[in-house]
Amino acid sequence: MFSAFIGHGPLYKSKRKNVGKLFTPVVTVAFVLLVAILLVCILAPVVAPYDPNAQDLTQVLAKPSAAHWLGCDQTGRDIFSRIIYGGRTALVSAVMVVVISVIIGIPLGLISGYKGGLADTIIMRCCDILLSFPSLLLAFVLVAGLGRNTFNAVLALGIVYVPMLTRLTRSLTLVEKNKVYVSACVSLGYSDTRILYRHILPNCISTILVQLTLDVAYAILDLASLSFLGLGTLPPQADWGAMLDEGRSVLLMSPVQSLSAGIVIVIVVVSLNIFSDGLHQYLDQAQTALPSFRKYEKKFLKKKGGAADGKPA
Amino acid sequence: MGKFILKRLGQMVLVLLAVSVIIFALVRITPSDPVASMTQGKSVSEETKQELREHYHLDKSAPEQYIIWVTGIFKGDLGESYQYKQSVGFLIGERIGTTMTLVLLSGVLAILIAIPVGVISAVKMNTWIDKLLSVITLIFVASPVFLTALVLMLVFALKLRWFPAIYQGNGLKEMILPAIALAMNMVALTSRITRTSMIEQLNADYIRTATAKGIPRRRVIITYALKNAMIPIITVTSIQVGSMLVGAVLVESVFAMGGLGDLLIKGIKAADYPVVQGVTLLMVFVFLCINLVVDILYAVLDPRIRMK
Repeated sequence: MFSAFIGHGPLYKSKRKNVGKLFTPVVTVAFVLLVAILLVCILAPVVAPYDPNAQDLTQVLAKPSAAHWLGCDQTGRDIFSRIIYGGRTALVSAVMVVVISVIIGIPLGLISGYKGGLADTIIMRCCDILLSFPSLLLAFVLVAGLGRNTFNAVLALGIVYVPMLTRLTRSLTLVEKNKVYVSACVSLGYSDTRILYRHILPNCISTILVQLTLDVAYAILDLASLSFLGLGTLPPQADWGAMLDEGRSVLLMSPVQSLSAGIVIVIVVVSLNIFSDGLHQYLDQAQTALPSFRKYEKKFLKKKGGAADGKPA
Repeated sequence: MGKFILKRLGQMVLVLLAVSVIIFALVRITPSDPVASMTQGKSVSEETKQELREHYHLDKSAPEQYIIWVTGIFKGDLGESYQYKQSVGFLIGERIGTTMTLVLLSGVLAILIAIPVGVISAVKMNTWIDKLLSVITLIFVASPVFLTALVLMLVFALKLRWFPAIYQGNGLKEMILPAIALAMNMVALTSRITRTSMIEQLNADYIRTATAKGIPRRRVIITYALKNAMIPIITVTSIQVGSMLVGAVLVESVFAMGGLGDLLIKGIKAADYPVVQGVTLLMVFVFLCINLVVDILYAVLDPRIRMK
């Protein structure tokens, strides 16, 4: 049942059970959860029962009830509404982080891999130096220089994610550039930009896509860490990480505030992990056998009868 | 071997120099007046401000300030903090013990838990034990360090009262909850890698040969398979140490531990450049040292790497 996200061992038998299917039961559950959370966040003004910043001082630290599903925080704000609006901040920021890293990282990786030589050396040395900062530390320094707010936290993390993406794109480009279709493009006189973006990039995109879905998950965690330390989204704006921080002074009296924000983070990140892993396995198979071919093959097997277990020959 | 180490040391010095330039430039990206953070909003005469500027070399140009900072490092002087009016070296010295104990303790803890968990999952591949462990590790991968810390604190310190909720610097008992919190994330990642690596080794031909020779299963797993599965495990662990240094910052914040992380975060909030620069450079230095040790360890463990 958990074949979607565990194990890549060569003797992993159940791996073949769901050949050609992206939506195995586990991946489906993860995907539905993600879509549901995303929808609720997009429709926040409609779905949220209260204004996330409206203070009702008669309801300070109220326990969960019919009126306030998750209770209220220390200034009488509805926690459920803040979770929904916080999701908006968290998800939009996380996606922006990945977008920034894509805008900078992919072109650098393509150039570095395709051109080689001096450009490659310079780009790779820069990546090495940035990667010598342990994980979030570079983001700390960037936020220290830029100032503390949501936008700067997003910018900082976007830059932190660049070197890994550049390296990945470069390694994929190195494999692709020696293939025959690239020589064909060169002999047709296509410009480097056209070859890189219209021919090489589409062939690398599936692996990059898997990495990007994982990056969104990491970005959610890292942004929450920054907000928790007071280096990202600052109160009173609703954000999951900031809510965890605000809730810890009343942890014993009303653990709901911190824990609900934490649980939502865990659900989203686990779902993204499962989805990314499902995507990875699906695309991996797609590379060995084209989907159209597999469909044909299945039909053929069905006609013959008996061997219709969906295994590719 | 000596040549190999020497070459890696030379590279490390160059990287550290580049990193120092980056740190120095980044903290000064947006022009702000450090004197304002030193005086903390009090109104001070122009002369005092000028004196402060001269004392902290702020009247000099940026490159000059950088040179003063870097040459100071070689003399063991990391500059003086704007907000504490004490030397950064002293401030770090006061706090480094807490952070290093925390990181070391949770590192050891993580390895002690992760490797057996990974080996068990690999040996019992696809059974309910393996699946259960996979689900648990996935949850810990997804749980931010500070959430694990808060939950542990809520359950074991505030509800059950087994451990103190706040670290006050006396005894290992106060260190247990923070160390577990910091270790769990690493346990999750390391055990998953151990599992994958072990499955690969257990399917290798030499394992079949060893089993056919009648060597007990336990010995085949531990002395044959695990030994060969170690390289990827060490790689992941060494990368994890970097995120543990940062994770320590978060855990310290939860348990009010007042270590290096606390110094760093307060420094960032107060625009205390010398503190931010000093602590960051120290963390990068520690991270690079660990990477160096791991590289040497590879060469010892796997002679093929030495030959390259």
